[in-house]
Amino acid sequence: MKVLVESCEALPLVQIVVSFAGGAAHDPPDRGGLASLASRMLRRGCQSMKAEQIEARVDSLGGALSTHASLGSTLLGCEMLSRSAEPLTELLSEVLGRPSFDAEELAKLQRQAEAELISARDDDGLLASRALRRHLFSSHPHSRRLMGSIPSLKAVSRDELLSFHRRHFCRNNALVAVCGDVDHDRALELADRLLSGLPEGEATDYPAAEPEAPLGRNLVIVDKIERSQSKIGVGTLGTHPRDVDHTALMVANTAFGGSFTSRLTNEVRAKRGWSYGASSHLTISRVREAFAMWTAPGADDSAACLSLQLELLQQWRDDGITQDELDFCKSFLRRSFAFEIDTAKKRLGQKLERALLRLPDDYHDGFVKRVGDVTREQANTAIQARIDPNRLWVAVVATEQAIGEHLRQVTDWRGVTVEPFDLE
Amino acid sequence: MGPKLICRHAFGPRIEIERYRFDNGLTLLLVVDDAAPVVSYQTWLAVGSRHEKKGKTGIAHLFEHLMFNETDNLANGELDRKLEQAGAESNAATFLDWTFYLENLPAEALELVIELESDRLQNLVLRDPQVASEREVVANERRQTVDDDIDGTITERLYSSAFTVHGYRWPTIGLMADIQGLTTEDCRSFYASYYAPNNATLVIVGDVEREHLLELLAGAYGSIPAAPVLAEDRRTEPPQTRERRSQLSLPTATHKLAVGYHCPAMADADHPALTLLVEILFGGRASRVHQALVQQAEVASSAGGFVGNFRDPALLDIYLTARPEHDCSSLLRALDEQLEQVCRDAPSESELERGRARVELSSLRALETAAGKAEQIGFCELVLGDPAGLFARLEACAQVSRDDLLRVARRYLQPNARTIVEVSPELDHK
Repeated sequence: MKVLVESCEALPLVQIVVSFAGGAAHDPPDRGGLASLASRMLRRGCQSMKAEQIEARVDSLGGALSTHASLGSTLLGCEMLSRSAEPLTELLSEVLGRPSFDAEELAKLQRQAEAELISARDDDGLLASRALRRHLFSSHPHSRRLMGSIPSLKAVSRDELLSFHRRHFCRNNALVAVCGDVDHDRALELADRLLSGLPEGEATDYPAAEPEAPLGRNLVIVDKIERSQSKIGVGTLGTHPRDVDHTALMVANTAFGGSFTSRLTNEVRAKRGWSYGASSHLTISRVREAFAMWTAPGADDSAACLSLQLELLQQWRDDGITQDELDFCKSFLRRSFAFEIDTAKKRLGQKLERALLRLPDDYHDGFVKRVGDVTREQANTAIQARIDPNRLWVAVVATEQAIGEHLRQVTDWRGVTVEPFDLE
Repeated sequence: MGPKLICRHAFGPRIEIERYRFDNGLTLLLVVDDAAPVVSYQTWLAVGSRHEKKGKTGIAHLFEHLMFNETDNLANGELDRKLEQAGAESNAATFLDWTFYLENLPAEALELVIELESDRLQNLVLRDPQVASEREVVANERRQTVDDDIDGTITERLYSSAFTVHGYRWPTIGLMADIQGLTTEDCRSFYASYYAPNNATLVIVGDVEREHLLELLAGAYGSIPAAPVLAEDRRTEPPQTRERRSQLSLPTATHKLAVGYHCPAMADADHPALTLLVEILFGGRASRVHQALVQQAEVASSAGGFVGNFRDPALLDIYLTARPEHDCSSLLRALDEQLEQVCRDAPSESELERGRARVELSSLRALETAAGKAEQIGFCELVLGDPAGLFARLEACAQVSRDDLLRVARRYLQPNARTIVEVSPELDHK
């Protein structure tokens, strides 16, 4: 068991998070959503309490419980009034160590999760994001939906949940993070009590290999009726936190679409008014993750906006960033770093991220210095080494009949796919 | 010229707010807090979409966008560029009662932010190209948050049906035809009518040296003249005496139901009790409605209820999403059972305790950052007239009894004064 602590007496609040290695990337292919269901079932009954009793007790003590499964881990968290830290830790300890995984509750949760998946089809941003990841990562585990699909959710059995719990919920596979109005010794006591009902067990490895970039430029249109606006995501592979050019690429992306005055925002929003938001992002994970840019233009402007985005991407790759842009981004990133560490919760979040993603020890603390050391040549070399504008996927949520033909004309696509919005 | 200390407000057990006033009517609320080398600098204006006129909806919000453009001293785009270069994050928000601008900045950027904020309060330049471009941005924001968004469409219909004369019937984003018809002259007139120091409150929280700050503010704001602020054409909403019901057919796969009951203004003595009642009914998974509709009967996949936190009487709004095999009538039947029950028998003491604990936790969670504290202070000043209103409300919640809960349930959950929006799906869920 590893314990991370960040004390701060400013407010009478405590947050405890316990993370177990083992998440959606560990789900068997036909059991997508297993890790998610396992985490959600924790609050649906334990040896001495039913689901509604757990919820009422947490609320009454001034706690807010959360469960989550990411690709690599399964988390249980609770933010609470500091006066309730002991009784809530006792409760969480039982929730973790003696869950009932009641069959009737599991069936209820499966029906609830199915309804949530259907409701999620209202969210065009989510549909675009899912389509992009589904195609960009293809058969790689990072293409998976954390919640699973309706058929895979329905297939999960109680025995499989018990097996997941036995395998992953153990002390040697746990990482506990505590922050807020609690000193170091009390935090260690709380962490020990939290895991007191769990066996020692073994640590879980991360299963995903490095993903491969797609071939050519590919388009998927997620067809949905009556769209007055499109959600456009453009993605290719990006960075790995241990790349030698990782920081240089982060700086270069800040100039491209990572700030409110970046090239992308300036060209799409400020100059043309085409989209309320226009940005690009580099995600980090245990393996190489995505570089993606996002816009939401009106239906009539969608093809022109996508064309402009691809042109800007190519230009960024070919010409790199200017010295002025580099100086600006270095100043922005170094000075705004104060907001990455201004609360105990954020500082703890950084520690947790370092531990979960196996980041270098100085990943956050050395960020300001590394940014300051980036040269223009390093930034531009990083773009050329990592970002390939000719090996990407574009996902557009739109009414295909209205703008599909215009989208097909934007570039020389290697392939064009049309999918129904309710595919998942 | 310089700000004068008027009084101090206790903001919880550990923090003090200092209230200053300039001769030109500008108010400053200051919290010196050196927990981190950062400052949140917020400018709150007492103007929101409630002040708009028919045909000109959305102007308060469009104008908020335009405040990031050109001034006499800055070219278009330079404001954001200077702020980002200094490591500051800037943003703004407009709602029914207010508009506010914020910068979260490293402490060393304070002088720059004071200069930029005081400049745009008095020297904004409005030209046709920027207004035209920003109209397009806002039109796309409307498509994103209303026209192509199921929840946004429902909320807009709920408020426009529940209010007939009060300005709360206007959507803050504006109606699309109105947005597209707003002119540069409309924007100039709006600026002259509402953007004056005597209609503004500065809220500054963070690592500042008090005397130096006051000196800088005196230099930047002291000479801005006070100006007449356009009086609001304030119309009291007449009591609703009959249920209003409307139907929408939307591209969604599930039936949805929104119900609005008229509720008191946030400063009303009944508001804390109603807040706790809504926590008991809708707050979290132990709440009555979640347990009955989502967990037990499984007619809904989600259920939420919220009491409006506004200057004037507003709405207690309820949003329900049906499970695929259920429709609005089964949702409403199940909801009504719960509402009738809470009007019949007072909730239990343990339910009241649960509600209080949830309100206490959420109130404290809002105060973790300098920006969070500043936002609570500015919001409570504008809506309640008390910058420490967050803690006053916690004290009021501690005094609420079970009888109070029963009383406010019977008073506000009136079926004949409610507005209902029913959504039927155009899409198949299978």
